[in-house]
Amino acid sequence: MNMLSSDLYLQNKEIIQVIVLILGILILFTAIFGIWSLLNPENKPKEMISRTRSWWTMATIFILATVIHPIVTFAAFALLSFTALRELSSISKNLPKQDIPVVMFGYMAIPVQYYFAYIGNYNLFLIFIPLLMHIFIPFILVLRGRIEGITQSMTVIPTHLMLVVFAISHLAYFLSLPDIDGFNAGGRGLLLFIVFVTEINDVLQFIWGKLLGKHKILPKVSPNKTWEGFVGGLVTTIFVAYFLRFLTPMSGVESMVAGLLIAGSGFIGDVTVSAIKRDIGIKDTGNLIPGHGGLLDRIDSLAFTAPIFFHLIYNLHYS
Amino acid sequence: MRTVFLTLVYKVGMKFFLQVIIGVKYYNKKVLKNQKQFILVSNHNSHIDTMALMVAVPFRKLHKTHPVAAGDYFGNSRFKAFLTKLFINGILIARSKEEKGEFGDTIERLSRKLAKGNSLILFPEGSRGEPEKMQRFKKGIGVLLKQNPNVCYVPVYTNGLGTVMPKGRFLFVPYESDIYFGQPTYAKSMEVEEIAMEIENQILKLKEIFHEKQRNNELEDEQLK
Repeated sequence: MNMLSSDLYLQNKEIIQVIVLILGILILFTAIFGIWSLLNPENKPKEMISRTRSWWTMATIFILATVIHPIVTFAAFALLSFTALRELSSISKNLPKQDIPVVMFGYMAIPVQYYFAYIGNYNLFLIFIPLLMHIFIPFILVLRGRIEGITQSMTVIPTHLMLVVFAISHLAYFLSLPDIDGFNAGGRGLLLFIVFVTEINDVLQFIWGKLLGKHKILPKVSPNKTWEGFVGGLVTTIFVAYFLRFLTPMSGVESMVAGLLIAGSGFIGDVTVSAIKRDIGIKDTGNLIPGHGGLLDRIDSLAFTAPIFFHLIYNLHYS
Repeated sequence: MRTVFLTLVYKVGMKFFLQVIIGVKYYNKKVLKNQKQFILVSNHNSHIDTMALMVAVPFRKLHKTHPVAAGDYFGNSRFKAFLTKLFINGILIARSKEEKGEFGDTIERLSRKLAKGNSLILFPEGSRGEPEKMQRFKKGIGVLLKQNPNVCYVPVYTNGLGTVMPKGRFLFVPYESDIYFGQPTYAKSMEVEEIAMEIENQILKLKEIFHEKQRNNELEDEQLK
């Protein structure tokens, strides 16, 4: 296990560079929208300003949660899973109201899953939700003896667990990966890499879409997604991944493949949650993060990129 | 002392439990800030309703805010009555004529509290009932407001707490719920039944406005402020 102490972490040159880069980008965007507002006081980009402000909050929480101590990082991601699972089961229309109490077992699975990630037990980490919870939740539902809508609950609760607990917990598992000779940034570097590349890919797809967007990809699912935004984001994200590869043990070509996979799976995550929202008939999953919507609106792409990138890097360099 | 105790219970413990664990969201709760005295009137689905409303009360007024609780339920044992007084700051009242001997005349006792400048939390449905279904209001609120026309009431719509912990369940489950405050209002009519009806309609209207705003994404959570 690789549990770097926090002072060692702050001496890590690569990670400091990325934190400075994140803050630099935030300052740049704050300055752009600040000047824009000064020039056109009537036509302020209000949504962009509130989005940027929320980015500041999220970046600060994320950096602090990864800097302080591994325990804090695990607890923070567990809390993220918990809040996202609550958001998801509250808005879901496919989960019968009478079975909401059963989600309590889903909440109780969160500390167990993160514990397996913390001790670095790869096998239990992999089977606990995809196998054990998929048996346990239907079993509990059967024990309650209410048949009406039980098939829905049997499928919906485990699916929610897969999306916001199993997938998101991969982020925490990066910290439990063993050390590799000649690779300094460690699990924290990988965590920073995947979160940064995923989020910058979201932002880049958004910016390219706003600048050049014409041809819609999936107009019925997500009307704002265009081919121009997707391809532009994909290409720039491959470059970003290439330049940030010093956070990972990957070679140049490997990092570009990673960038391609992250951009692609990030897009899939985004439109999947969009489709769920369309089905329910809501625009955002909540109002926790001003300008962005709910928590799920922000971590939708991460839920797809984290496991993909984790297993890519695991099979390339850790097995 | 009492203020410090209640502040710790509600503004620290309960607030954390309700907002971080259960996921209760408050809207428009700033209307309570400038009110010296008020009667919070709300629909009733769960024991959590009372706690959730107490959390919204500004801490200086906590010790002077009394939820009105059913004597036959919360007062049926000495221990329960003690807990209700200690943690809920509640007033036990009679729900039927037979209990009057035990608790005294309800309206008279509540009026006395109001005369001393206290605030009340009232659930005119009289019982929690089926989850997420509103029952007709009892007219006691009308009598109280008729006798105290200088006290304003604040209609509140609560949504989802019946799922968190409905009647008959003793374990909660986290579920995103909402507390939506209306504007402080003085009773317009002088007829007891009309006042009760007016408040009931206001809460139904709040419910409509709330769900309309929720659909259109116009709500702003006050949780983090």
